[in-house]
Amino acid sequence: MSRSTESLPGGQSPLLGVWERLRSWEGLLLVLLFVVIIVNSLQAPAYLSVGNQVNLFILSIEKIIVALVMTFIIINAEIDLSVASMMGLSACTLGWLHEQGAPIWIALLIGLSVGVIGGAFNSFWIAIVGLPSLVVTLAMLIGYRGLARVLLEDRSIGEFPQWFDNLGQQPLIGPFPLALIIFFLLLIVAVIILQYSGFGRYVYVIGNNREVARYSGVKVRRAKMILFITSSTIAALAGLLFAARLGAVRGDIGLGFELDIITMVLLGGVSIFGGSGSIFGVLLSILIILNLRNGMSLANITGHVQTGVIGVLLILSVLVPNLANEVRAILNRRRRIGGPQDTTA
Amino acid sequence: MKRYISRGFAFLIILSLLVTACQPAAPATEAPATEAPPPAETEAPAAATEAPAAATEAPPAEAGPVEATPGQEVNMVLLPKFLGILVFDQANQGAQEAHAELQNAGELQFLGPTPENSVAGQIEIVTTAATQGMDAIMISNNAGDQIAPAAQGARDAGMTVVTWDSPIPSAEGEQIFVAQVDFDETGRVMADMALSILGEDGGKFAVLSASPDAANQNAWIAALEEVLATDSTYASLELLDIVYGNDQSEDSYNQALALVDKYPDMELIMAPTTVGIAAAAKAMQDEGLCEEVKVSGLGLPAEMVSYTLNGCAPEFALWSFVDLGYLTYYTTYLLATGGIEGAVGERFEAGRMGTYTIEKDPTRDQGLRVLMGPFTVYDATNVEAAAQ
Repeated sequence: MSRSTESLPGGQSPLLGVWERLRSWEGLLLVLLFVVIIVNSLQAPAYLSVGNQVNLFILSIEKIIVALVMTFIIINAEIDLSVASMMGLSACTLGWLHEQGAPIWIALLIGLSVGVIGGAFNSFWIAIVGLPSLVVTLAMLIGYRGLARVLLEDRSIGEFPQWFDNLGQQPLIGPFPLALIIFFLLLIVAVIILQYSGFGRYVYVIGNNREVARYSGVKVRRAKMILFITSSTIAALAGLLFAARLGAVRGDIGLGFELDIITMVLLGGVSIFGGSGSIFGVLLSILIILNLRNGMSLANITGHVQTGVIGVLLILSVLVPNLANEVRAILNRRRRIGGPQDTTA
Repeated sequence: MKRYISRGFAFLIILSLLVTACQPAAPATEAPATEAPPPAETEAPAAATEAPAAATEAPPAEAGPVEATPGQEVNMVLLPKFLGILVFDQANQGAQEAHAELQNAGELQFLGPTPENSVAGQIEIVTTAATQGMDAIMISNNAGDQIAPAAQGARDAGMTVVTWDSPIPSAEGEQIFVAQVDFDETGRVMADMALSILGEDGGKFAVLSASPDAANQNAWIAALEEVLATDSTYASLELLDIVYGNDQSEDSYNQALALVDKYPDMELIMAPTTVGIAAAAKAMQDEGLCEEVKVSGLGLPAEMVSYTLNGCAPEFALWSFVDLGYLTYYTTYLLATGGIEGAVGERFEAGRMGTYTIEKDPTRDQGLRVLMGPFTVYDATNVEAAAQ
């Protein structure tokens, strides 16, 4: 219902013009990104160096990989809170198997399979049984983390083969380590699927209105299963990459990352109610957050302030579009009430 | 409509999750609980028993201890486990004191992650420090071996890397660990305090610890039991029981009262945890039991001052985090300026704290350490000054 009112007004009033520009959240993000980059390059000489630019991605690479899939999930009007715990579980599975003496490539395969199985488990409850994803994945946030801690207890397991550590810590092609290359590949795939494929359109349609999608013949269950299995699997992959980057795993690996990941997606203009948003917006938001954090770190601004700044950004990203919506709805109502009186006069 | 409400609800929950994520102050206040006497030597507590007394004095220095040359430019970062903890602020205070004393022309930054982002945050700060071209970093490691690649990266970038309070278990990427105290000493200090409070004829006491699987706590209690069993000085002391308050104030409070009920002839509760000692002292004070049952252990002067002055906890001990920060700074400055190289047997002068020797860390397979020690025992005469 709200949809139909939104598409009503033309574009004649100047206030609406401003609104239209503000509405292009990506436009706003792009401006913000440029500001951040310019300020950073002015205040920190090390900022623009290739090493720093690569580091800036690498320090959060696992989060931004998962954020790509999270974009699909949230556009689909669902949420996956279990991703960070799944990262922990796959990394700890790897560590545990390594400790038991399993060859590392088998441990890697099993770690990845844990992601597939976990995703299948999530999607069974969400897509087949029909429980809210918020509840299911919240439970699994606790469940997967618990399993990870059971596997490793308080131990820290390291001493992986050198090639495995190198994969996480050394550049693979030019200055780019494996994880960064995986991120860029996944980014391209995500753009193609979400913006240019039939499946991508289904994701939006389901997110807009699940019932309408179902009656239009969209296989809602299948789409949701695919999304949640992919989400868990990519999270497991990210966990393995994280293990390689750190060269050691502990039960608390990746703890709390889900919130950072969701922050990136929401700041990218993806509606928490589903149905709208784009990978491009999320990419911009990722770039803003990473560059902002990096800039603040280079300026020796401590953790609390950094978290605060990102928090304010997020609150604004949720408030501004919603407030603007409200204002517009009120304006529309006024106009409609005022309209007929004008014609009779 | 229903759907709208449920979505709105979901949205509110998520928003509140996110907002709380941005306000990390709350966990910070609880954090010192488990951390307070930090697990400096978590990795190999057993090894600590064949400790270093001999090694400390080992190589007779031909050339006397090295002294720092003031006025050189060394840009340094002091990295705590996380921000918002009193003891780390105290360490910073000590480091700042040394920084001023040595007239370092460079900067000393006190940078830390937020508690919920401690591991990733520490790695980020170490990596960024190398990018910035900082000269040295002093890490109270909270990331286990996970920080090793970042620390090694900083070393490769030419930085000096020193750990304090909590080392890198594998010692990879770390040059020297500045340790606060020795495990053995903890047992003896606790036994001494018990004897001093109970008098020459001794008495019965119980231990209120953190959790049953806290490695540092267990090692300290084991050291206490060892000393009680082997040293005839402490023959008059009898250990009744060991209970666990899980470093939760309320839990510890209840455990302390349960001990009183269970052992009517108990005269002392020994709590080698800052949370436990404060909770036990409060329990005795609230129940008016301070005359019958005293409290002692490891505590923070700022938290214990009122209990010490009113006699509920007449004596307790802790190492000085100010001194730890000060000694760490001197060690790092000397390493960064080439005064010392970080080899076993090197001796150096650390300002007001005197001479220290670099030794092999007996608590780890690899790695060097500088052992600060000793404990400071606080009583009514010095607790107020320390609580400032």
